[in-house]
Amino acid sequence: MTRVEIRGLKKSFGPVQALRGINLEVESGALVALLGPTGAGKTTLLKCIAGVEEPDAGDILFDGQSVLGTPAWRRDVAMFFQTYALYPHMSVYDNIAYPLRERKWSRQEIDRSVKNVAEKLRIAHLLDRKDPSTLSGGEMQRVALARTLVRNPRIFLLDEPISNLDAKLREEMRTEFKRLHKELKQTIIYATPDFLEAFAIAEKVAVIKDGVILQYDTPINLLRRPKNRFVATFIGSPTINIMRGVVRRMAYGWEFSTSSLRIQLSDVGHYSKLLDGSEVELAVRPRDIVLEGPKNRNTFKAKVVAAERLGYETIVTLSLGDVELKAVTKGMRSYKYGDEVIINIPGDRVILFDVSSGEAMY
Amino acid sequence: MANLRNNRRGRRKIVKTTLIYLSTIIAVIFFIFPIYWLVATSLKTRAQAFSTPPLFVWEPTFRNFIDIFLKRQTEIEAITGQELELATGAEIFFYNSFVVTFSSIAIATVIGVLAAYSFSRYKPAGTSTLMFFILSTRMLPAIVVAIPIYFFYRSLGLYNTYIGLILLYTMFNLPFAVWMMKSFFDEVPRDIEQAALVDGSNPVKVFYKIALPQVLVGLGATIGFLIINVWNEFLFALLLTERATRTVPVMIAGTRGEVGINWGLIAAIETLYILPALVLIFLLQRFLLRGMTFGTVRGVK
Ligand SMILES: Nc1ncnc2c1ncn2[C@@H]1O[C@H](COP(=O)(O)OP(=O)(O)OP(=O)(O)O)[C@@H](O)[C@H]1O
Ligand SMILES: [Mg+2]
Repeated sequence: MTRVEIRGLKKSFGPVQALRGINLEVESGALVALLGPTGAGKTTLLKCIAGVEEPDAGDILFDGQSVLGTPAWRRDVAMFFQTYALYPHMSVYDNIAYPLRERKWSRQEIDRSVKNVAEKLRIAHLLDRKDPSTLSGGEMQRVALARTLVRNPRIFLLDEPISNLDAKLREEMRTEFKRLHKELKQTIIYATPDFLEAFAIAEKVAVIKDGVILQYDTPINLLRRPKNRFVATFIGSPTINIMRGVVRRMAYGWEFSTSSLRIQLSDVGHYSKLLDGSEVELAVRPRDIVLEGPKNRNTFKAKVVAAERLGYETIVTLSLGDVELKAVTKGMRSYKYGDEVIINIPGDRVILFDVSSGEAMY
Repeated sequence: MANLRNNRRGRRKIVKTTLIYLSTIIAVIFFIFPIYWLVATSLKTRAQAFSTPPLFVWEPTFRNFIDIFLKRQTEIEAITGQELELATGAEIFFYNSFVVTFSSIAIATVIGVLAAYSFSRYKPAGTSTLMFFILSTRMLPAIVVAIPIYFFYRSLGLYNTYIGLILLYTMFNLPFAVWMMKSFFDEVPRDIEQAALVDGSNPVKVFYKIALPQVLVGLGATIGFLIINVWNEFLFALLLTERATRTVPVMIAGTRGEVGINWGLIAAIETLYILPALVLIFLLQRFLLRGMTFGTVRGVK
């Protein structure tokens, strides 16, 4: 159980700035997800924490002590590599046993631990395989995972540990991680580009992009109160709807208007940074738009452009004058192109962004 | 109809296969025949070796092979009718060749592997300049540096010593060793070594427990390549040695005169001389092929 603190961490590869000032605190025993698109710097950050990449600036602390002077082989962290990084000249058993042998465990202890973790990850039947390159992708991933989980380090760093598994196994493994975390009560930093995965397993999620942590928050806050446009669009499927318009101060509060619709926003105090008459972007999640609901102030007529029926729900693409919106409705609804529907846009669920900076205006 | 087409296709395939085999056989004969002739001559008596038309069927004799090692200088000189530089029999020259080859390859390989790994992993400042410099030492034609090295060796007392030849061959081979090994180390995924670091191995252990096993094939190719380089070297061996340190290629050249040469004896020496190279190539053929195509294979799984 170790508390991790990262302060102003910077790392460049030649002209590429992979990390540009990362600040992050991971509580002892917490499971934190590092969520970001490809090239965001997730792997680089984990490698800096593990000690196999040397940061250019900043500090990394374990339990308040800087570890920058401690080489990787003495830092006592375990890392799952995105590329698996299995040792090609060792059998599956030897791969998993490697970290224990390097720590001079006794033969019996090693054997017990290896078999135990192999059992858990359902690869016990693969232990005798001589050449790990003959394993299937999913098997390699589980062997690499076993090598990571076989010991009990201060911190686990997991770099997209289940991204190449098929959907079903991935779902199983997500649950497995939560269970494992409950059992081990270990500090885990878990990198993934998939927000569903991050939300499913982590208590707190750090959204990273271009080497900067944009927001470090709980899943519900990331969904409801994203700090900027990128976080809002990166999280959620289908992607959040964004339209551009002007805000005006009215007697009842703020009103957002485009050429074809006016949306009354709820309270005034909520948007402290808003200027009367300024241009903003309004975002509303497809699942927050209500189709065929009771009429209220923000009820609009819309035309159906397309409908994707996904079984339990239907994603409808709608056009309202000059804007196009996606909405999600329960059940299998057979909308046809050109159908007219009534929609409600909940004024208390929208998020406003500054047009130039993309920052949310709360 | 379909049958006919199949027939035609089948016939075309047979013609194609035959042509491929035929040209392969011709190529093999082309390369093998000189070696066959060499070995055959070594198994003939002097008279048989000179017979016209050449003999293709005869009773082989191992006299020549025995003579190489048993006949002392004077006897061989009497047989060949020319002054030979054999002091004790031929074994001393084989011994010299082995000593020089083995030592210089051992040194060049150890230094080369370590240098290549450092260049590949730690990329010290000026790596590309240094790598180019290392290669550039092999860009001058050998003959250009031969005279300076000769005087250099004379004045340093390295002339006609094992150390002198070993140093020279080490220097000649080091660039190949570094360049070949670097390209093999470059292919080893960084993540594998980083995983080992995280798993608790220090960099020295990572080198010999993780990196080195990945490049064994390349190491085999490199060593094979270097051995053949040294074993065949003639120019500097000729310039820098006398009896005591003379290697086999120089000795063979020295026994070639105008009249009355015992070709059978020379063929026997040459047969023994090419034997280690043949065995080596046969044993390392997998590695050598790999060495010739290095850099082109392997994707990271
Ligand atoms: N060894 C390296 N040399 C040069 N550039 C690198 C190196 N490692 C990473 N980078 C660059 O740093 C940036 C961040 O890379 P990183 O691998 O950390 O991203 P990531 O978030 O892990 O992406 P992914 O989801 O694709 O794995 C990228 O632009 C990448 O090209
Ligand atoms: Mg990555």
